[in-house]
Amino acid sequence: MLKVNDINVYYGNIHAIKGVSFEVNSGETVSLIGANGAGKSTILQTVSGLLRSKTGFIEFMGEDISHIEPFSLVTKGIAHVPEGRRVFLHMSVKENLEMGAFTRKDKEIEKDLSGVFQRFPRLKERLNQEAGTLSGGEQQMLAMGRALMSRPKLLILDEPSMGLAPILVQQIFDIIRELNKGGTTILLVEQNAEMALRISNRAYVLESGKVVLSGTGKDLAESDTVKKAYLGG
Amino acid sequence: MDFLSTLISGLSVGSIYALIALGYTMVYGIAKMLNFAHGDIIMVGAFTCVVAFSTWGMNVFVTIILSVVVCVLVGVLIEKIAYKPLRKAPPLSVLITAIGVSYFLQSTALLIFGPNQRSFPHIIDIPPIKIGSLTISGEAAATLACSFVLMAALSFFINRTTMGKAMRAVSEDKQAAELMGISVNRTISITFAIGSALASIAGIFFGATYGFIGPYSGSMPGIKAFVAAVFGGIGSIPGAMLGGILLGVIENMSKAYISTELSDAIVFGVLILVLLIKPTGLMGKAINEKV
Repeated sequence: MLKVNDINVYYGNIHAIKGVSFEVNSGETVSLIGANGAGKSTILQTVSGLLRSKTGFIEFMGEDISHIEPFSLVTKGIAHVPEGRRVFLHMSVKENLEMGAFTRKDKEIEKDLSGVFQRFPRLKERLNQEAGTLSGGEQQMLAMGRALMSRPKLLILDEPSMGLAPILVQQIFDIIRELNKGGTTILLVEQNAEMALRISNRAYVLESGKVVLSGTGKDLAESDTVKKAYLGG
Repeated sequence: MDFLSTLISGLSVGSIYALIALGYTMVYGIAKMLNFAHGDIIMVGAFTCVVAFSTWGMNVFVTIILSVVVCVLVGVLIEKIAYKPLRKAPPLSVLITAIGVSYFLQSTALLIFGPNQRSFPHIIDIPPIKIGSLTISGEAAATLACSFVLMAALSFFINRTTMGKAMRAVSEDKQAAELMGISVNRTISITFAIGSALASIAGIFFGATYGFIGPYSGSMPGIKAFVAAVFGGIGSIPGAMLGGILLGVIENMSKAYISTELSDAIVFGVLILVLLIKPTGLMGKAINEKV
């Protein structure tokens, strides 16, 4: 479904991503794991067109999307929940969700809205509240609900568990697993490697802008290198 | 002059400032830049009016529509040609460019129309309204009514329509908005179009109120409207409306009761006072920079 081939991304003179390639097949959950600064978010931003690669290409459903404007990816079926949630703080919960459906003109928006409320009942309780007044966990739910409003084929999640209490982390990962079962392909970036590997079909381990290891979630969780570096022994 | 009629003419001048201030504040909110050429759009609108009405003899409605269309085109073109290439440049470069565009518009008008002021046609032909001893000029009444309708329409657009909400989303977080499928470039163009349309209407009312127009006529109301936008809290739409109207009233009151010469000093003095007490302006939001 998504094919990233030999991308090199620079911040000025800094060579942040060095020849990274990976694939996400339809129906999979794929994780990119690695330490802070390994380049995980940079890769996601390049996939979304917010950053550009100097080489290589990115293909989505057989189409080259390397040079496409970021806003037109939504209509192609990619939704990206950015790091730090980035909900619109001065807009209401309802308006945030409406923005998620910005590109849609069909009649089923209301239906999807109630679907989001079913998954995240807290959002319905806070419908007319400004998003800035929500807790971190609620904002993460809003950011995910907002992304789902575009009916994505591929959902990109950047550090969904960041800054959340352990009980909420569990809840978010359960939701990700449910979404995947419901047919949404998921590309996940996480520092919480243990949780990420548990729900992933496959994963790639990144170190200083390079893929150093890849395999199934289970294999990686059991590999010594990963255990030592990311799972605390 | 009695108090009520001073108040009404203050409200009328203030609503002209408010219309212009909306352009400043919207562009600032969306593109995070101060478009100092915005005041000169008023002059472009007013001159279009003079040419269409007096020279070409068109009727009022065609004149107004033509003036709006010309201003929207000029505003959107300025953004595309002068500001868009600087989207990632330091704010100072953009500011200097905006001042350059302002001089460009003034000089172009100077070349076409010469340095002398032209008299503005009696485009708004409404008899004065008499309520008891109070007389309201036709221009003031039309300005007030029209500005009120425009501001109500703009509030509805911003708060209730999808495009308006998208504009608010872009002003909060451009990248996140882009990830929602909102084209930031298109949104910025629409913002410039709306701001310029409001400025063209303000230009017509300005011309009708003062009766003349010259190449530099846009700069003073432009600066005052900018003050009004800061006064109300730059970036805030209700703030621009409130700031503009208050500024007009304060200006007229000082002219009537204190001193005509000192009125500008008083207006700017009040601005300084407000900013000392509330640095974000009357309705400005405190910006929480996220770490």
